[in-house]
Amino acid sequence: MKKQFFRLSIFAALIAGFSSCTDVIDLDVPEGTSYPVLDAWITNEPGTQYIRFTKSVSYTQSGAAPIISNATITLYDETTGDVYPFIFADSVYKCDPSSGQIGHLNHTYRLRVEYDSNIYEATDTIKPVAAITKVDYKYKEKNTDGAQKDGYYVRFYATDMAGQTDYTWIRSYRNDMTKGNILEDNYVIDGGFSEGLSDGQEFPQFVGESVNDYEHPFLKGDLAIIKLRSLTYPSYFWVTSVQTQMQSGGLFATVLANVGTNVRNITDGGGKGKILGWFGTSAVSDTSITTN
Amino acid sequence: MKTRLVKLLSIGILLLWALQSNAQQRFTLSGYVKDQQNGESLIGISVSKAGTGLGTVTNEYGFYSLTLPAGDHDIQFSYIGYAPIKTHITLKGNQTLDIKLDKSSSQLNTVTVIGDKQEKAVNTLNTSINRLDIAQMKKMPTFMGEVDVLRSIQTLPGVQTVGEGASGFNVRGGAADENLILLDEAPVYNSTHMLGFFSVFNPDAVKSVNLIKGGFPAEFGGRTSSVLDIRMKDGNNQNMAVNGGISNVFSRLSIEAPIVKDQSSFIVAARRSYIDILMKPFLSGDMKDTKLNFYDITAKANFKMNKTNTLFVSGYLGRDVFGFGTDVNMNWGNKTATVRWNHVFNNRLFMNLTTFYSNYDYSLEFNNGSTKNEGDNYQAYNWTSNIINYGVKPGFTYYVNAKNSVHFGVQGIYYTFKPGKGISQDGANTNVKNLTQQHGLEGAVYLDHEWKPSKKFGVQYGLRLSEYQFLGNSTAYYYNDTTPGIRKTLIGSKTYGSNELIKAYHYLEPRINIRYGINDNNAVKASFARTTQYMHQLSNTASPTPLDIWTPSTNNVQPQVADQYTLGYAYDATNGKYEISAEVFYKNMNHQLDYIDNANLQLNQYIEADLLPSKSRSYGLEVMAKKEIGTTTGWISYTLSKSERKTEGINQNEWFLNRYDRTHNVNVVVTHEFTKRTSFSANWVYATGTPTTYADSRLEYQGWDIPYNSTDKRNTYRMPAFHRLDVSLTLKGKQLRRWKGEWVFSLYNVYARRNAYSIYFQQNEDDKNKREAIRLSIIGSVIPGITYNFKF
Repeated sequence: MKKQFFRLSIFAALIAGFSSCTDVIDLDVPEGTSYPVLDAWITNEPGTQYIRFTKSVSYTQSGAAPIISNATITLYDETTGDVYPFIFADSVYKCDPSSGQIGHLNHTYRLRVEYDSNIYEATDTIKPVAAITKVDYKYKEKNTDGAQKDGYYVRFYATDMAGQTDYTWIRSYRNDMTKGNILEDNYVIDGGFSEGLSDGQEFPQFVGESVNDYEHPFLKGDLAIIKLRSLTYPSYFWVTSVQTQMQSGGLFATVLANVGTNVRNITDGGGKGKILGWFGTSAVSDTSITTN
Repeated sequence: MKTRLVKLLSIGILLLWALQSNAQQRFTLSGYVKDQQNGESLIGISVSKAGTGLGTVTNEYGFYSLTLPAGDHDIQFSYIGYAPIKTHITLKGNQTLDIKLDKSSSQLNTVTVIGDKQEKAVNTLNTSINRLDIAQMKKMPTFMGEVDVLRSIQTLPGVQTVGEGASGFNVRGGAADENLILLDEAPVYNSTHMLGFFSVFNPDAVKSVNLIKGGFPAEFGGRTSSVLDIRMKDGNNQNMAVNGGISNVFSRLSIEAPIVKDQSSFIVAARRSYIDILMKPFLSGDMKDTKLNFYDITAKANFKMNKTNTLFVSGYLGRDVFGFGTDVNMNWGNKTATVRWNHVFNNRLFMNLTTFYSNYDYSLEFNNGSTKNEGDNYQAYNWTSNIINYGVKPGFTYYVNAKNSVHFGVQGIYYTFKPGKGISQDGANTNVKNLTQQHGLEGAVYLDHEWKPSKKFGVQYGLRLSEYQFLGNSTAYYYNDTTPGIRKTLIGSKTYGSNELIKAYHYLEPRINIRYGINDNNAVKASFARTTQYMHQLSNTASPTPLDIWTPSTNNVQPQVADQYTLGYAYDATNGKYEISAEVFYKNMNHQLDYIDNANLQLNQYIEADLLPSKSRSYGLEVMAKKEIGTTTGWISYTLSKSERKTEGINQNEWFLNRYDRTHNVNVVVTHEFTKRTSFSANWVYATGTPTTYADSRLEYQGWDIPYNSTDKRNTYRMPAFHRLDVSLTLKGKQLRRWKGEWVFSLYNVYARRNAYSIYFQQNEDDKNKREAIRLSIIGSVIPGITYNFKF
C-alpha cells in the first residue's frame, strides 16, 4: 500500500503548483559485479512449474539478462519427501508433474541449486490464501469515483481468513501474463495494512480496486487477470522490500538499499559463491474477467 | 568520578573568587530596554559604559543589569537600526533605568556607533551563534512572497538542507532531528508546512531568531546539533496595529494592541493558504474536493504586573491538510503553549520560569464513503500518532558585577509517545491496534559562569547534568543482538507499571567558550560543548517527512551524545560597516540511529529490532562576511565541510557520507535600497550535490527489474550540484494616514534550474522492458510570487 502514499506525495507536489518534474537522465555508473540471480516461485497451480536462473546486468542495459543454463536445480517436498528435478530447456528450468500439481498447501519446500562447484539451498512453505469470491467492473468517467481516466475499473472481492496473520501478494495483468502486461503488485496483511488490525474482515474496497492501473485503465474487450499469492512472513518482507526499491521516487521515498536473499551457500567446507534472488512458495487464488 | 569532582570544585573556587573580588563600592544599574514605537522588549541591545569595554547586552526579555563603581558614568544603549541613546547617570545606590529606543529615522541604517558594540560577534563570548532580526529577514528574497524563518537561516554558514521539499535542515553535519526548535521555549517537532515549503512561523509574530550551532551555553540541552530559538513578539503596548499580507499562496493577518498601555498587550496572528480554493475552477469532477491547505494561529499576551513581575502567555496551533474528496484525508500539525513568569528579585538577580506544553500529531484516513456501491460495507482505515510533552524550567541569572554573571537553573520535561494507533473498519466490524505508549522524563541542572576580567579576555564555562528516565506504563522489549544489519530477534518483553523505571541514563555535559580580543577589531574564540539527545526521529527517507515518528531513548536505543570543538575568529571594521567571521569545527556524534536495509518504521511494535546504532563525525570551515550599514547590505557565507558515519552492518562497516553532506555551500544575500521606497534583493545559493547510491545492476525477478548496488557501498555518488537564484523587488506605497502598504514581487529559481531532489531507477511506465534513471526535481521552473503587505 506504499504506492498509495507514493502517488499522494507526487500528486500533492504537483497540484501545489510547485511544478515538480521528473526527467529521464543519463547516468555514468560503472558496470557492477555480476551475480547469479535465482527467480524461483513455486505455487500450487496445476501443471508445469518454471524457475529462471540468470545473471545480473547493468541496470539500464537493454535486452534480457544472460541466462545460466548449466545449473542443477532440484525441489524437495520436505513434508512428503517427493523430489522434483527441474530440467533446463528453452531458456528456463522446468518441471512437469505429468498429473496434478507440485505445490501443496502447508507443505514445506527446499530448493537446491548446484552451480559453479557450489551448492545453495533455500526453503519456504505454502500458506493458505483467501479465496476470490467475486470480480466485477465498472465503467467510470474521468474525475468521477476516483478515476483519473475514462475506462473500466475492475474490483475483486475476498475476505481475510480469521485467525492466523495472512500475508498476500496481489498481482494483476492485462490480457496475458507476460512481463510487459503486469499492471500492479500490492501486498496486504490480513487484507489490510498491518498485523492484527483487520483479521477476518473483507478486503477493503481500495484493496479490491488496487488491481487497476489508474493511468491506463482497462479498455473495452481487455482481459483482467488477478492472482492472489499467499506469502510466508520472510517472503512478504522480501517482496515488499523489492517494492520499496522499485518505487523509490517521490518525497517520501526511501533511499536505495539492496534486497537480501534467502538462498544460502551450503557447500561443504564453505563456498565463496553468492546467489541473489529469492525462493518463494504460494497458494494461488485467481480470477479473470473481460471488460465489455 | 574523581575528574568530575575536580571539575566541580574548580568551578566553585573560581566562582567564589569572582564574587570576592569586589572590594570597591559598587552599585547596580538595571532595567528594561524597549522599542519606543511599539513597546516591544529589545533583545541583545548593547548597554555599556562609553569608552570602556565594560558592558552587557539585554537578555531575551529585554532586561539588563550592569554593576559599576559608584560615581558618574555615561551609559550608552545601542543597536543596529536604532538611534543610540547616551545618558549620564550618577550612581549613588542601586538604580533602575528603563530605556526606550527609537528606530533610526533613516531606513538606510547610516547611524553608526563607534566602539562599545557589545552585541557584535567580535565582542561576544560565544562561538557559533547567528542572530537574525525579523527586519533582516524581511529584506531577503522570498519564496512566493512569504518571509520565512527557516529559509533565512539556511543562508547562514553551517546550515544545509537536502533540497527543496526537505522538511528539515542540517546543522554542521548533524541529522535534521538534532535541531532543537523552540517557539517561545516550547519545542516544535515539525517546523514546516506543505512538506517543507513554508516554515510554520508566522513572520508577523516573530521578533527574533537565534541559531546556536556550537559552544552551547549550559542552559541549552536536549539536542546535539543546534538550538533554533525563536522569540515571538510581545504585541504592541502603545497603539493598536494591524499587519497583513495577501499573496498568491496565502494570506496573513495579525492584530496587536495594548490591553493597558505600557502595561500589557497582546498579539494574534493567523495565516491560511488557499491553493486548493484557487485551483478549484481548474479541477473537475471529484477532483473538486481536493484539499490542500495549511493554517496557523499564533497568539501571545503579556502582563507587566509591577516593576518586578511580568507574565507572558503564548500559544501556537498549526495544521496541514491534504485530501482527495472525502475518501483520503491526511493532516498533521503542532500545538504549543507557553506560560512564562519574569521576576526581578533585585537589580542583580533575574528569574524566568517557563512552563510549556507541546503536541505534535498526524492522522491518515482512507475510506470508501463516496465510491462504494449500494449495499457494500462502509470501510475505513485510520491511523494516528502523536507525541506530547510538558516542561518546566526555572532559570536564573545573577549579575554579580560588570565582569561576572552566573546562569543557573533546573529543567524537566515529561514526554508521552503514542507511536501509532490503527483502526480498521468493515461495516459493523471494527478492529483497533494500539502500539505501546512510551514515557520519558528528562531532567537537567545547569550552572555557568560568564567572566570578563578585562576587555581582552572573557570566558563562559559551565556544566550541565542531564538525566533521562524511560518510564512505564510501557512494555520493554529485549532483542537478541545477532548479526549487525539484520533484523534482531525478540527474546522477551516485560511490562512495567505507571511511572516505573525501565532504564535511566545520565550525562555530565561540560561547556566552555573563551574569547581573546586582539584589539578592538579582532578577536579569536574557542569553545567546547558536549550535548546529549534522548529522542530520535525515525526516518529512512531522503529527508524526514511529517509522517516519521519520534521515539525516546529506551533500553534498546541509547541517547545520542555529541562533542563539538570550535575555533573562531571575528573581525569588525572600525566604522562598523563590515563584519567577518570564520570558524572551524569538529564534531563527534555517538549513537545516532541507522536502519537495517528495508526497515519497517511504520506501525511496527518491534521497530527497535530494525534500528542500528551508528557514529558520525563532521568537520568544516565556515566563513561569513556581512555588511549591515549603507544602501547595499547583505552577506556572503561559505561552508566547506564533511559529514560521515559508520554503522556496523552497513557499507561493510566502513565510513560513508551522510545523506546531507555537502562539500561546498555558498550563499550570497544582497539587498540594495534604490530609494526610501524601492528596494531590490537577491539571493544565490550553490551547494555540492548530496551523496546518493546508484544501482549498478538489476536483478530480473518475476517480471521485475530490481535495482541493485553490487558494491554494497552507500552514498558513493553525488547528485548534480544545487544552485538557484532568487530575486525580489519591494515597492513601498505612500503612507496614507496610518496606512502603509507595500508590493513585493519575487522570482524564485530565476534561471529555472531543475535541481535534483533524488535520482532513482525504474522500469518505463509504458514499456516494462525498458529501464531508466529518473531525476526528480521538486521545483522545475521559475516560481513567481506577488504579495501585498499592509499595516495600519
